Amino acid sequence: MAKVIEIKDVNTNFYTYEGIIKALDSVSLTIDHGSTFGLVGESGCGKSVTARSIMRIVQEPGKIESGKILFYPDPNKNGEGVDLLQKPESYMRDLRGDKISMIFQEPNSALNPIFTIGFQISESLLFHRKKELCQSVVDDLGKTGNGLFIPLSALLKKIYEIGARNPEALLLGLFSRIPILKRWDRLLKKKALNRSIELIDDLGIPNPQEVVKLYPHNLSGGMKQRVVIAIALACHPVLLIADEATSNLDVTIQAQILNLLKELKKKEISSVLLITHDLGVVAHTCDRVGVMYAGQLCEVADVRDIFENPRHPYTSALLGSVPKLLQKKTLQSIEGNVPNLVNPPEGCRFHPRCQYKTDICSEKAPPMEEVGTNHSVACYHHLSG
Amino acid sequence: MASYILRRLFFLIFVLFGISVIVFGIMMSFGPERRAAAYITTPQQINAIPEIIKTYGLDDPFVIQYVRWIKEISKGNFGWSRYGAMPVWDALLTYLPITIELNLFAAPLTIILGIWLGTRAGIHKNTFIDHVTRITSVIGWSLPTFLFGLILLMVFYGLTQWFPPGVLDDKFIREIIQHPDRFTAYTGMYTVDGILNNRWDITLNALRHLVLPVMTQVVVVVAVLVRVMRSSMIEEMSKEFVLTARAKGASERTVNLLHVKKNALIPAVTVAGWLVALSLQGSIAVEIIFNRPGIGQWTAASAIALEMAPVMGMCVFLAIVYLTTNLIIDILYAVIDPRIRLE
Ligand SMILES: Nc1ncnc2c1ncn2[C@@H]1O[C@H](COP(=O)(O)OP(=O)(O)O)[C@@H](O)[C@H]1O
Ligand SMILES: [Mg+2]
Repeated sequence: MAKVIEIKDVNTNFYTYEGIIKALDSVSLTIDHGSTFGLVGESGCGKSVTARSIMRIVQEPGKIESGKILFYPDPNKNGEGVDLLQKPESYMRDLRGDKISMIFQEPNSALNPIFTIGFQISESLLFHRKKELCQSVVDDLGKTGNGLFIPLSALLKKIYEIGARNPEALLLGLFSRIPILKRWDRLLKKKALNRSIELIDDLGIPNPQEVVKLYPHNLSGGMKQRVVIAIALACHPVLLIADEATSNLDVTIQAQILNLLKELKKKEISSVLLITHDLGVVAHTCDRVGVMYAGQLCEVADVRDIFENPRHPYTSALLGSVPKLLQKKTLQSIEGNVPNLVNPPEGCRFHPRCQYKTDICSEKAPPMEEVGTNHSVACYHHLSG
Repeated sequence: MASYILRRLFFLIFVLFGISVIVFGIMMSFGPERRAAAYITTPQQINAIPEIIKTYGLDDPFVIQYVRWIKEISKGNFGWSRYGAMPVWDALLTYLPITIELNLFAAPLTIILGIWLGTRAGIHKNTFIDHVTRITSVIGWSLPTFLFGLILLMVFYGLTQWFPPGVLDDKFIREIIQHPDRFTAYTGMYTVDGILNNRWDITLNALRHLVLPVMTQVVVVVAVLVRVMRSSMIEEMSKEFVLTARAKGASERTVNLLHVKKNALIPAVTVAGWLVALSLQGSIAVEIIFNRPGIGQWTAASAIALEMAPVMGMCVFLAIVYLTTNLIIDILYAVIDPRIRLE
């Protein structure tokens, strides 16, 4: 199957006063077009940092040190992927929210409290779909009886034609500074708002026309999360990253949102990176699963193999804390503490808590090793199949 | 909204009542002799004190004296200002414009500069720009006003004669006094009155006199706003909606100057409002150094001479200023922050 993204040996550090937090240590994983990849692990193991590294939005004081993030936007075109870490910021800006987008954990804080829902969704479209929007305004203006004064309509049409050809045209920037012409983009914004209304309507938000005029605090958590999803889906991304998108919602809403994502996955989005600490969610929605521990990836396999045949002692310990497969249950902690990432244990970071450890475990980090079909493990003593 | 404002203004009456009782109570804590002394001007009159107490009823019960005072105030009689040699009300009308004029220029400059510097410092946290901004604003803040003012005077008046102290050149003052019919004092602020009388030369001259005091005032006050804006920016920049904005493809500029700044302005508005309200009591140091007879100088002189009427008048005036400021801040809040509803 064609890859959509391939992460190779990515290291991300945070430079804090306590020292350098090595949040990601040589993380490698591959997601295929059309698949859902589940990333699981205890809180603080670097799942969010992985997601943010992919989009290159790691906050201060974090820095992606090395590695490759190869992106293959088109499943039909084989060939070299684009290394996102080598691209300029402007390239990333065009990519974010368009080809790759993200849903966040906490709908209450993911939306800007002082802008309307409509504005926040429209922004996405205005960043990436200005050209198309301008074109459709031109089409509207071309129709007779658009209700505008004729010379004005002609002038506006000219302006929007410029926009449809080149949305970054200097002339448009100039217009935006001239007092009367400044409001040339009113129709554009209206168009974007109408698209936003359609978007949230599709996501099952009642009264979309009214909702776009509201502010985040007027909506419930579930509704807010739908808005966050609408923002992420506005431009039909190739890869959608859902970072614990349902963790902070109550169970019924959680199920609704998950079903919504599943539905959308079928028709709208190509591939999903689903970050969660809920193994039940993983079992229900994912094709492949990656297990993370303290900034390292320790096991990657198809979802059946992870549950039926875990090879890494950590994975098996995680599963041991889930009484029954497919039953909703969050991860329980395992004996011992998650290591401090400023001074992580030498070698395999799990060894202090591992019952199978030997000398070599504390000397050298085990490499990822193929142990079955599409099943890799980073462990010297991986459990037999 | 309108009904909210009306209700707040109605509420203001009660607050003013409370304040007037407190102010009057403090004044009453001085004995009748002490208060009678305010009426005498020469040592010979000392013997007249018992008579003054009697005539003005200074040893009447609190309530009676309070009601009498309120009655006088409602007639517009706030008492006599000996320092100004005129009624307190007239003194307010004379000195206040000088202070307002200074702040008419200093306040917008402080707000614009403070918010701009604070925003930049916050965005470029812990970089050269940030350090320079913080160090300069802290120096400005900790430098005594009089020292900074004197240095400015020395350089821009002593050495270059560019920006003189006072409010207006003598030749204009003389002209205005000699021909009161030619120049109407609409506002008591020469910069504004100059325009209204079509005397741009007077406006320009008044502006020249304003440069140094405005500079001093801005430098002294701006640091507070820079600090608040900076830390508010830094706090908002760490919020999750910033990630959402970046994840949908917003440029750094849009993120910082639209998403973050608009949120960060909310606390800054309060501080800016209070700074303006506070400066309306007049900066005594600025007014003395630059020889501007404003409300600060007048209040200080009256307080030192234990003149009750001016001090009480000032207290009531400041109470009104603070309460109005509070109201304006609350309205601005509701304008910026949709989470706040005025009800
Ligand atoms: N902004 C930050 N500043 C400092 N350290 C951070 C920051 N964000 C994440 N980290 C570090 O990275 C590690 C991984 O965090 P994260 O990816 O958020 O975990 P999770 O798997 O729960 O999503 C954490 O242990 C934390 O120490
Ligand atoms: Mg997380």
